[in-house]
Amino acid sequence: MGRKKLLRRGWFGSTVSYVYLSILAVIAAFPLVWILLSSVKSKSELAGDPTIFFPSHITFENFRIVFEQLNFGRNVGNSILVAGSTTLVAIAISALGAYGVVRFFPRFGKKLTRVLVTTYMFPPILLAVPYSIIMGKFGMMNSRIGLVVVYMSFSVPYAIWLLVGFFQTVPIDIEEAARIDGANKVQVFYKVVLPIVAPGIVAVAIYTFINAWNEFLYSLILINSSEKATVAVALKSLEGQEVLDWGVMMAASAVVVIPSVIFFMLIQKKIAGGLAAGAVK
Amino acid sequence: MKSRHLRAQAASFCFILPALTVLALLLLYPVVTSIYYSFTSKHLIKTGYEFVFLQNYIAVLTDKEFWTSFLTNIKWTVTSLFFQILVGFFAALALERIGKGKSFFRTVLIIPWAFPSIVIALSWKWILNGVSGYLPNILVKLGICDAIPQFLSSSALAFPVLVMINVWFGAPLIMVNVLSALQTVPRDQYEAAQVDGASPLQSFLHITLPHIRIVMGLLIVLRTIWIFNSFDMIYLITGGGPAGLTQTVPIYAYNVGWGLKMLGRSSAVTVLLLIFLLLVCALYFRILDKWEKEA
Repeated sequence: MGRKKLLRRGWFGSTVSYVYLSILAVIAAFPLVWILLSSVKSKSELAGDPTIFFPSHITFENFRIVFEQLNFGRNVGNSILVAGSTTLVAIAISALGAYGVVRFFPRFGKKLTRVLVTTYMFPPILLAVPYSIIMGKFGMMNSRIGLVVVYMSFSVPYAIWLLVGFFQTVPIDIEEAARIDGANKVQVFYKVVLPIVAPGIVAVAIYTFINAWNEFLYSLILINSSEKATVAVALKSLEGQEVLDWGVMMAASAVVVIPSVIFFMLIQKKIAGGLAAGAVK
Repeated sequence: MKSRHLRAQAASFCFILPALTVLALLLLYPVVTSIYYSFTSKHLIKTGYEFVFLQNYIAVLTDKEFWTSFLTNIKWTVTSLFFQILVGFFAALALERIGKGKSFFRTVLIIPWAFPSIVIALSWKWILNGVSGYLPNILVKLGICDAIPQFLSSSALAFPVLVMINVWFGAPLIMVNVLSALQTVPRDQYEAAQVDGASPLQSFLHITLPHIRIVMGLLIVLRTIWIFNSFDMIYLITGGGPAGLTQTVPIYAYNVGWGLKMLGRSSAVTVLLLIFLLLVCALYFRILDKWEKEA
């Protein structure tokens, strides 16, 4: 007699659960569905009766405008560059840090949750002021490298938090065996530990990428030319146009949100346990 | 022998050095400079500035708009958090209960979590648009509303609608974390309780809740901070309007710093924000410490 059976006692509870989840699923998915449907509707259809759900015919005109007239591909390129560099650097720093804490400074590791929660506490809007002043001083205003540096501020703490959980699953016996065979600390890390936690690192890397891809505030404050703008800020600028073209805005939104949603679905199971694991320690 | 030990120590330290550097340079240093600038007349564009001591703090603390923003911020945080937990917690329990389709529902329900704030803003603004939005028009068509409701510009609706969007966005995170916390509850305790004739509600109250309360506690701490600090969503959806009704402290700080261009005063606002969060978190952590000792 397992927990599952116990929890599933009675059809009434299951029915209520299914109804509740179905309602939530519709609400959760609706904006994404509506973005996709609106992005393939024609201008005349968007100006017509707004309660007609499906497009009568599908057009990719909005996407053509997004890429050909608005040059959105350039912004996508910027975001891939910024989010990609952020991910590479942040994961390198965080993997070393998380492993170091787990293996060599376990006493500090117990306090790590508190330290990371404290870093979480600094309001982005508080950090935005000194970041803009410091970047101005070093001539890194309106620089994508400057943005990558600033993105470390949230990527590294997040990644360490999640990675600590993965590194803790590596049995110390394997490492000790390698040490006896004559490997040094760095070799043990690269040749023994990293391959074991590789799937976890990939998941955290994807999560870091999504967060950097989605970021808005620092990008708004630190980048001030449309050439270097990331997708989030470029999307915002569409809203500033005199005549709002919702079809075009939804097409551009689709380009930004679809990669996030797909990647997130792939890694959600690996990431989800992270917080709970961190709290249970 | 001693030098070998020292070298080993140094090697261990090298692992965490880059991470410590990031924390020091990108978090500690900016906070210290923020505190410093909060005592100056630093301007966004003008280069020179002078030390003004407490003038910024006095200006902020005597500004009625600051206190209204602060109250709005508390209302925003408490209501958002309450409904996020309510919706997310029951979604997790429902997912635990069903058999078929669990993975499907889980995948669909986390969609909002992946949304960038700007897309949250644009998509909801389009859905709720006061002229050609889907939802307002369907409400009129169904006869629920007489006139097209202005969800984001009416003073009665803007705040609750913003909270609802925040619940839509934040509930999945609560759901997923509660779900993984539920997996850590040892199943033999449920069996023992059932043998003793405990009702499902009793086993929930006496087995499930005590096991997951530390995770829940930490989750509440993190979410409180996050919602309190959240800037993007409000800035992008209502910009603090209509008539300042949805203006929270981060939005107020942004307006002072980048609207009025008074970075010094804006720093004073954010330092006050940080002090408040530190106090709230100290309180939370005392409760969590007590629970951990009991566990």
